[in-house]
Amino acid sequence: MSVVKTISEEALAGLVRDLVASGTRVLAPAQSSDGAVDYQAIQELGEAVLNGAMPRRSLRAALQPPTEPLFAWKRDARGLKIEPMRDPATPQVIVGARPCDAAGIEVLDKVMDWDYKDAPWFARREATTVISLACREPQPSCFCGSLGLGPSSGQGADLLLHRVDSDYLVEVLTPKGEALVAAHSARFQDTPGAEAPKPAGAADADGMLAGLAAAPQPWVKAVDEWLGTHFADELWQQISLRCLGCGGCTSVCPTCHCFDIVDEPEGTQRGLRRRNWDTCQASLFTLHASGHNPRNDQSARCRQRILHKFHIYPKRFGEVLCTGCGRCVRTCPAGVSLPEVLRDIAEKALAPEPVSGGSA
Amino acid sequence: MKELQELARTLLSEGQVKVVVGWEDSPGGPRPAFITRPEDAERLVFDHRCVHNLVAYLSPGHVDVARLGKPAVVVKGCDARAAAMLMRESQLSREDVVLIGVRCGGVVRDPREADTLTADSVAPRCPGCDARQPALADHLLGELPPPPPGENRRDKEIARLEAMRPSERWAFWQAELARCVRCNACRQVCPLCYCERCVALKTEPLWIESSAHPRGVMAWHLTRAQHHAGRCSDCGECERACPVSIMLSLLNRKAAQVVEQRFGYVASDDPAAPAPIGAFRTEDTEEFIR
Repeated sequence: MSVVKTISEEALAGLVRDLVASGTRVLAPAQSSDGAVDYQAIQELGEAVLNGAMPRRSLRAALQPPTEPLFAWKRDARGLKIEPMRDPATPQVIVGARPCDAAGIEVLDKVMDWDYKDAPWFARREATTVISLACREPQPSCFCGSLGLGPSSGQGADLLLHRVDSDYLVEVLTPKGEALVAAHSARFQDTPGAEAPKPAGAADADGMLAGLAAAPQPWVKAVDEWLGTHFADELWQQISLRCLGCGGCTSVCPTCHCFDIVDEPEGTQRGLRRRNWDTCQASLFTLHASGHNPRNDQSARCRQRILHKFHIYPKRFGEVLCTGCGRCVRTCPAGVSLPEVLRDIAEKALAPEPVSGGSA
Repeated sequence: MKELQELARTLLSEGQVKVVVGWEDSPGGPRPAFITRPEDAERLVFDHRCVHNLVAYLSPGHVDVARLGKPAVVVKGCDARAAAMLMRESQLSREDVVLIGVRCGGVVRDPREADTLTADSVAPRCPGCDARQPALADHLLGELPPPPPGENRRDKEIARLEAMRPSERWAFWQAELARCVRCNACRQVCPLCYCERCVALKTEPLWIESSAHPRGVMAWHLTRAQHHAGRCSDCGECERACPVSIMLSLLNRKAAQVVEQRFGYVASDDPAAPAPIGAFRTEDTEEFIR
């Protein structure tokens, strides 16, 4: 049972001021110049939008920026010199993370520490404290509840806030969360006997996955198994026809993490090697130097996205690579809906085996 | 609606086409639909929520759709302009497609946000539209609805930007483009971005860096706007697909205004009307072209 504290709106504003004054970068959902809400650096809590508005993009950029230099190179008479350009990983606190976004960070820790420990990721990860805010306003196409997370999941969060009137109940979930509370103890009040509110109803805003919860085996498991045996199914062609391959889904996703490495010369004697976001929905992603492309049409690329999220990742790391934030559905210009695709697969996977014709 | 469904059923059952590309309803509003069986034609809808430019699916590169066989595509007037450009640039043969024109009274910006067509919900390109009945069509359906509501806010916004000092305008575009992550969605959804090897993919020399730093972002968007000057059909798909809502159509529209001023060309759905990029005039003011 996690420790529960209380913090008033005023004290939270004070906490933000303290953090900013100490040189910590505070990120929160805040209004962009065009009026939409994005996770952004704030100076005052007043800039934060904590009314449940869904930031346009996930928290990925806070831990893996769209572009980051890895090293600089320079050539002179004595040869080639390489100079690492590691981001100093400024301490940052994320205030008002959506539970689906915080969960995404934890899911990604696994692949980032798999065959190779991704140093830039973990440098930022260690410098980051995540304060989630339990979500009371699921958006159209949200489906976190169908993936076992739900709007008050604390996965990936160090502290989880629950709005109670004008205060917040604070669940302290990790040692990092404890450290933050201890360092700013005057801002938090003990709340003996208080219990964190029970998780709110499971979000499945479009109702795409309704009914599957009662399936004889967990639908996610059934989908995983089906995917493992239906690489050449006609479904892939059907679901990919409308996909334009724009990759918008992958650039707003809290769990997509694929990147490209590029060399950008500055003249002929020096340059930078950078890591940039990439997308499996682009044909270039798998284009070989020979000209051969193993994923040469959109159906192969759509299949890859589903397979990676719901078969390959769970097989390797025991978790799906999706937190049900629904951003991919809302951003898709062609009306592709991931929960709908999952429902179609789950229905196939859970359908009783066709009875082979009797021999009467 | 009935007329559209009936026509699609006939085209499919008579074997004139193998697929009808139109719209169907979904929880997020109408979306592209690919009807291959006559009995599925009843799924087709068309109304003011059908914002997508389905001609994108005719663009070379969409091999999954091409594989289905000869298509019929439902087009609004603006969409027909993109089809005409593909024909002008020899990317699409007139006889390889059946175009089902629909009379249009404007569409909403985003069917997920608005069901009804109002001065607030209307797509930026619609107010003042003069292409509400496509001429480039084998069939023309529906009654002509009243003109789109609202005023042309986009041209007003361009005028506002032009009235700015260069430093202010630069600041506006820096803020707007700072959100770009170089995902390339603007390119991928564009019916006229069909280059097999986009200039942004060339690395020797590296014309346009793929990184989302100010230099890479600026080089990409300015080059793209130039490559679309006199070609863009103003369907607005790049702006709609942008996951961070960059106002790309301001760039495209401004380029179109310049092309109109300098070359007297306005994007049309007449494939025979020469576009400035592929034509010349003897009275051209530039020496070198004559």
